[in-house]
Amino acid sequence: MNRKLLSFVLRRLGHTAIVLVGVIIVVFTLVHLVPGDPVRVALGTRYTPEAYAALREASGLDRPLIVQFFSYIGNALTGDLGVSFRSGNPVTLVLLERLPATLSLAAAGIIIALLISFPLGLYAALHEGKALDGVIRAVSQFGVSVPDFWMGLMLITFFSVTLGWLPPSGYVPLTEDPLGWASHVLMPAFTVGVVAGSIMTRYIRSAVLDVVGSSYIRTAKSKGIKHRTVVMRHIVRNALVPVVTIGGIQMATMLGGLIVVEVVFAWPGLGRLVYDAVLSRDYAVIQGAVLLIAGMFLLINLLVDLLYAVVDPRIRVS
Amino acid sequence: MFRRRIGAALATVSLLAVAACSPGEGVDLENNGGTGGAEASGSGETLVAAIAGEPDQLDPHKTSAYFSFQVLENVYDTLVEPDESLEMQPALAKSWEVSDDQLTWTFTLREDVTFHDGSEFSAEDVVYSYNRIIDNELTNSYRFASVESIKAPDPSTVVIKVSQPTPSLLSNIGGFKGMAIVSEENVKSGEIQDNPIGTGPFVFESYTPGDSIKLSSNPDYWGGAPELGGATFRFISEGTTALAGLTAGEVDWTDSIPPQRVAGLETNPDVEVGKVASNDYWYLALNQNREPYDDVRVRQAIAYALDRDAITQAVSYGNATVNQLAIPKQSTWYTEYNKYSKNLDKAKSLLDEAGVDELNMGLMVTTQYPQTVTAAQVIADQLSKIGITTEIRTIDFATWLDEQSQGNFDMLMLGWLGSIDPNDFYYNQHHSEGTSNFQGYSNPEVDKLLEAGQTETNLEKRQEIYDKAATMIADDASYIYLYNPDVVQAWNPNVKGYEARSDRAIRFRDVSLADN
Repeated sequence: MNRKLLSFVLRRLGHTAIVLVGVIIVVFTLVHLVPGDPVRVALGTRYTPEAYAALREASGLDRPLIVQFFSYIGNALTGDLGVSFRSGNPVTLVLLERLPATLSLAAAGIIIALLISFPLGLYAALHEGKALDGVIRAVSQFGVSVPDFWMGLMLITFFSVTLGWLPPSGYVPLTEDPLGWASHVLMPAFTVGVVAGSIMTRYIRSAVLDVVGSSYIRTAKSKGIKHRTVVMRHIVRNALVPVVTIGGIQMATMLGGLIVVEVVFAWPGLGRLVYDAVLSRDYAVIQGAVLLIAGMFLLINLLVDLLYAVVDPRIRVS
Repeated sequence: MFRRRIGAALATVSLLAVAACSPGEGVDLENNGGTGGAEASGSGETLVAAIAGEPDQLDPHKTSAYFSFQVLENVYDTLVEPDESLEMQPALAKSWEVSDDQLTWTFTLREDVTFHDGSEFSAEDVVYSYNRIIDNELTNSYRFASVESIKAPDPSTVVIKVSQPTPSLLSNIGGFKGMAIVSEENVKSGEIQDNPIGTGPFVFESYTPGDSIKLSSNPDYWGGAPELGGATFRFISEGTTALAGLTAGEVDWTDSIPPQRVAGLETNPDVEVGKVASNDYWYLALNQNREPYDDVRVRQAIAYALDRDAITQAVSYGNATVNQLAIPKQSTWYTEYNKYSKNLDKAKSLLDEAGVDELNMGLMVTTQYPQTVTAAQVIADQLSKIGITTEIRTIDFATWLDEQSQGNFDMLMLGWLGSIDPNDFYYNQHHSEGTSNFQGYSNPEVDKLLEAGQTETNLEKRQEIYDKAATMIADDASYIYLYNPDVVQAWNPNVKGYEARSDRAIRFRDVSLADN
């Protein structure tokens, strides 16, 4: 089993590497196909043709595209993702500096989403058709459709301006000041969590409903097993597979950066970095960030696949 | 330095991987709930300023981003600097002289100046800084177009030789902190882009990417140590959030203000609003390399069809002044000009004369400057009254700049920011050889005037030259000028000694924070 698991993980990591090389090729081609010239953006509106030529040469953008491509690939394979055109800093550093904020917001967001969706989804399914089921379905529909920037602004207005309980914006690293971090992350994480939680509530509800209707649950009930045991051991356990899937997708989406929430709460995550990089055509940063996000996506997919085997032993990794 | 920062970032990431599984539940309301943004540090308190975006980098000679200059204004000095009416005053240079032939400028420097790392400031630093811009063809090299040499005969004297009389030299070298005097060592070590060392009132302390930059006050500042202990610049692009921070007391000062909120702020007793007319201007330009926009009558027809008051109201809720030329009223270089007051009959007959009855015109605007997108809708509606169908093309700024430089547009809207000398307002935009003359305007008489304006040292004569040139440029509708926007900033009433400036320079050196 363990050896099988190990070879599975290694094989998947191998696939991941191949996919990432593909991602580099596609992203490199795409960002260079998009119109817009980083040199022009950097120089602003007033400059001489000589200044334009000088910056193009200094940044290596005057080399033929194919030369730039192979030098990028070569460096990327050795772990060097190049230098940010805007700031002049190594891309690896630029990305790593943003990662803590993104990771901590995604983690807090997914926890809030689970705290919301699990009890609500389970309750709604077990009381299908009752009044509260209707309420939960309506509320989750609202949660899916409410624009996140609007909810963020409403939270700020209420909790920061009116009540003065929470800081309206900003970020404190968890490692420096856990309480400060928590007070700053609460509103953005809630905004993110409500949207993800609403989607997950609906998934959990229908996953549980599927299981509830199956014949083995009827058998279990008719055997006289206690209701609580039926719910926890049979229903929840069997409904977990789709829940893990959707949870993984939500988590991966959050790790890719949450531009709107980051803008509203001035949160220094990957989303705003990518957005700024795209606007200024900072090729190296865009490429590096997409690579990182794709890598995290693939990693989470791998974890989800491994979790399948944990929550449902009938699924074998192979 | 990089390795250390990578190490720190890695440590945070790995700690997070462990810690993120259990986010803290307790919330310290006492310390974070609107108890004032000012943090105690050093001699005075720290002012928290919310700016609307993040600097791209902090090398004053390489950045062109306003967000960078908001911070760098407080870190660096120039030889001379503009006062509130944008007249050049002594800064690192305490005095200067111009030779009779106007070709040699001699600056005498202050002797009590040190860089933030403790090293002495001397004339060699000025020579190094200017030559760095010239030799590397950096963004601002055009400001030295007439400069032949920069020498330091002794540690407190700088001599600049120019090839022709250059009345705009002072505003060229002092107009903004892009012409700052930098430390050679700071450049050579490569640290200038994220750890700049200047001679200014505040010392760069730290930079949290995506979040903020912290400055502390410079006790050895030659103009006297600032009263503030420091200044923190936070990047809050969402105006509503920045204003919430201001109301909650987390932020002391901001210019991240949605235009529709200005009127409300002005009546709010807990907020002070600073509003001054700026030197910026917004304009339309028609591509004269394309038909029928090469016909001056078509361009004039469009100028006559516009209701500038309606455009200004839509984009700025009244926080702007309509102007049919570039230079604003408060400037000594202002020229009165009102030719194009809205006149639809005149506009239609001009189009008839030009033989244009139906016209489909593209208008290129950019999301980078949302006011252009709003204005485009109003302009399209106004032009429909004279039979012009406007197709609005809204694109991101990088693409916009590409299209502009390749001449792929019928009409475009943009603004010019931060000009001081009339040469900055007109030469590159309207001279046949101008580097920003993307509309393809060429008028030999205007060329001659703009060249004469560059070298005329008699103020009165120079004013006449620019009056004439500006009038001809507008008559020919090389640009169709729209308005000068206001600078709008807001701060807590306990911020004392701050004033909004028409060049948008943010100076915190004379500011103090009163106790509430």
